[in-house]
Amino acid sequence: MHLPVIFKVLSLLSAIVSLSMVLPLGWSLWDGSSDGKAFLLSISAGLIFSAVLFMAGKNADYNDIGVKDGFLVVSLSWIFASLIGALPFYISGTIPTFAGAFFESASGFTTTGASVLSDIEAVPRGILFWRSLTHWLGGMGIIVLSLAILPFLGVGGMELFKAEVPGPIPEKITPRIQQTALYLWGVYAFLTVAETVLLLLGGMNLFESLTHTFGTVATGGFSPLNRSVGQYGSAYFDWIITVFMFLSGINFVLHYRLLRGHFRPLARDDEFRTYLWIVLFCIAVISADLLFRGNYDSIAEALRYSAFQVVSIITTTGFATADFELWPSFTQLILLLLMFAGACAGSTGGGMKILRLLILSRHTRAELKRVLHPHAVISVKVGGKVIDTRIQSSVTSFLILYVAVFIAGVFFMTSLGMDMESAMSGVAASLGNVGPGLGSLGPMDNYSAVPEAGKWLFSLLMLMGRLELYTVLLLFFPGTWRK
Amino acid sequence: MNGFLVAKFLSFITGIVSLSMIWPILWAHFDGSGEVRSLVISMILGLTFSGLLFVAGRHHTDYKTVGIRDAFAVVSLSWIFASVVGALPYYIYGMAPAYTDAFFEAMSGFTTTGASILTDIEAHPKSLLFWRGLTHWIGGMGIIVLSLAILPFIGVGGVHLFKAEVPGFGLEKMTPRLHQMAIRLWGIYFGLTAAQVILLLLGGMNLFEALTHSFSTIATGGLSPLNKSIGHYNSPYIEWVTTFFMFFSGVNFVIHYRFLLRQSGAYRDDEEFRLYAFIVLFSILFTAAVLLLRGYYVTIEEAVRYSAFQVISIITSTGFCTTDYELWPVSVHFLFILLMFAGGCTGSTAGGIKSLRVLALARHVRAGLASCLHPQGQFQTKIRGKTVSQDALASVTAFFILYLVVFIAGALFMAALGVDFVTAASSAAASIGNTGPGFGTVGPTENFFHIPAAGKWVLSLLMLLGRLELYTMILLFSPRTWKK
Repeated sequence: MHLPVIFKVLSLLSAIVSLSMVLPLGWSLWDGSSDGKAFLLSISAGLIFSAVLFMAGKNADYNDIGVKDGFLVVSLSWIFASLIGALPFYISGTIPTFAGAFFESASGFTTTGASVLSDIEAVPRGILFWRSLTHWLGGMGIIVLSLAILPFLGVGGMELFKAEVPGPIPEKITPRIQQTALYLWGVYAFLTVAETVLLLLGGMNLFESLTHTFGTVATGGFSPLNRSVGQYGSAYFDWIITVFMFLSGINFVLHYRLLRGHFRPLARDDEFRTYLWIVLFCIAVISADLLFRGNYDSIAEALRYSAFQVVSIITTTGFATADFELWPSFTQLILLLLMFAGACAGSTGGGMKILRLLILSRHTRAELKRVLHPHAVISVKVGGKVIDTRIQSSVTSFLILYVAVFIAGVFFMTSLGMDMESAMSGVAASLGNVGPGLGSLGPMDNYSAVPEAGKWLFSLLMLMGRLELYTVLLLFFPGTWRK
Repeated sequence: MNGFLVAKFLSFITGIVSLSMIWPILWAHFDGSGEVRSLVISMILGLTFSGLLFVAGRHHTDYKTVGIRDAFAVVSLSWIFASVVGALPYYIYGMAPAYTDAFFEAMSGFTTTGASILTDIEAHPKSLLFWRGLTHWIGGMGIIVLSLAILPFIGVGGVHLFKAEVPGFGLEKMTPRLHQMAIRLWGIYFGLTAAQVILLLLGGMNLFEALTHSFSTIATGGLSPLNKSIGHYNSPYIEWVTTFFMFFSGVNFVIHYRFLLRQSGAYRDDEEFRLYAFIVLFSILFTAAVLLLRGYYVTIEEAVRYSAFQVISIITSTGFCTTDYELWPVSVHFLFILLMFAGGCTGSTAGGIKSLRVLALARHVRAGLASCLHPQGQFQTKIRGKTVSQDALASVTAFFILYLVVFIAGALFMAALGVDFVTAASSAAASIGNTGPGFGTVGPTENFFHIPAAGKWVLSLLMLLGRLELYTMILLFSPRTWKK
């Protein structure tokens, strides 16, 4: 454990989060609303905190970072960001309890999109802008985390990306992270600008275009409107957002290649193809179910609403244009399963990720073959490359952990007296960073009625899901702290 | 595949099932109470069928050529044919209005699931209720041989690679080993049944109910000849006796055998048994505490008695009930659903994923976490002091994945039929885990009669898949199996 390095990284991070509050401060000054003071206070508090951490870490040498430090830095980064990010909500009095404010902030930085606000439109625009900005900042962190950091920490099969990511072949990890981050953030910025412009062209105002775009490209789901994207009732907005949610669920390395004119890697990518296939299949099945049961009359409407909801859930965004709780139970069950599936690895989406599902399914298929041919050597391949047994076993233990954490979460929530459907969907939605669930936590409800202890647990689940379980779980693993 | 061999074997199975109908016939005769006609007709039909199969397989003589594909076919078809024949009495008598219902009831019996389509059980003739109980008992005998002698040979689900071997038996020759082993393990099975019958008789139960309940308990089935199941008696003695026997029926029969061989610490030294006992104990304490806290019961004795019965009934996948636990708090429902998945020990009549696999999965994850911290280190998963090979672990994880996939597919299918969320999920879990009752509209005081016919076929298939440890059935239907 090298505490100075950890302090130094956290100091930098706290400073970035605090300074980002200048943007919402701008909105609130422009609007002349009362939340300006809350931002000034939060910025000062955050910067003081950052300075203290800087002092504590002034002797740091970045070359010291070991595996354990990596886990610690990653987990603490999201926790500290959420703590500082919660200040404006709490100080401005928008959210009365700190548990609620932390929940909202953690939901933002983990790009979950679960909210405790009941009347969103009554909240000043500065606060709402900050709420959406936490998504955008969180999304930037996630891309770097999943493509530049986790592959080296070897978490749940992410090692696979070691060779894939653009950037110099690493001797030292730090310069590589910087390079990779710049390439990928370029893609991220490009997607953001493109969506904002398209929404503006459709007649959305700048504030709403920006906040919805932040929610989309980060696959977050916070909307400044009470009825989310559904409020517009506009097919144009629905389809634009559907397309950008879908794009944000694709591995950013593929986007990077595509922007540089290489179309082949995308077309040949096993994971992308599976993702596309699952999305199309679910849209078809759900539209058919909705038409058949008479929820919609026209094919165009059924397709539009099912496409939006399917893409919103599988990319773990959580925007809604329809109250899918009124949809048939078959459709709801599919949506619940999509919360577990999640989007592609290396995107801002959450959940278990398609790549892992692909490895798990090939692993199982190989096992069935092995029963028939006990002496044959059968290898598991994804994208033409052999997945070695070490990665397979790291992915299977990821699945088991995911299920175990889900079970523990539901146990806890039902013990607090929550009903089964809400508890199961709420835990799945938090762990998968989706946002809305079913039952009392549906797309037209919110998390304000969840007891304090439940809000803390949901926040923890969002963090665990976001940091691919291992990172957070290792903090509780006795071996981590042993010398 | 060797079609002759499969036919001959199935002739044998249908013969046994048909001949077993002699017991309910004798019972009805002795009792003077009941329905004989449907049983006699079924027996004649069954024996004819068996005869035809025998003729079809008469050219077969050599048991040494049993291949892996033959084993799949024999094992899967055995349960299907037994259910086809076993369903006849229900259908001919008219206890089940459609053949679908009769088949569901018979499959539920032979797979020792215990899900029923009967609304008023007590209104039906005793001879048929006796047959219902007997299907459990026969199914249970089949399961023990299957899980301890046949599946290890096929190499299914990985557990055989580290599970307890039956003492004194190597893995050399299949057929003589099968005979010998089956006889010893059936001895234990028979002994447990006799012990329970006697204890229940001592508690004042009549012979008919003592027999049918014991059949159900030892086979971890769950069909009862009473509408309110064991709860009918409202007797702590009967409840505790049943609880105790359910618990022991969920333990690997090899461990019972070792105990009878006077191997000291047979139970204590077995890691699987320890995990099973721990889960049971923890679940009872949790349930009892929740029930007391929420004021469902006033005395500790009552809370412990009801929760012990229900927890053990679910984890051993029996499915008896003494009270309507659907009225209990949601956290307990969730615990019960988990227990349906967990199941009892390998080598017992219980269903579910099984404790040994749960143990292997847990150790696998622990090794995974450790190797995350020390990327260069080699971490081994050990069970019973022996290292579990990578191959075995891969088999167990694949089994777990398949179990989830089959469960999800089942729940989706049920939901597509328009069944509500909780009923769809719990009926799929209860069928694949061979438990019986679920939640929602198929709870402990309800039955499966109202489920659409397509749903009954799917649930029957899930029972069979769960019972045969998934692989057998899945491979039987996989085209690759039959490719040359």
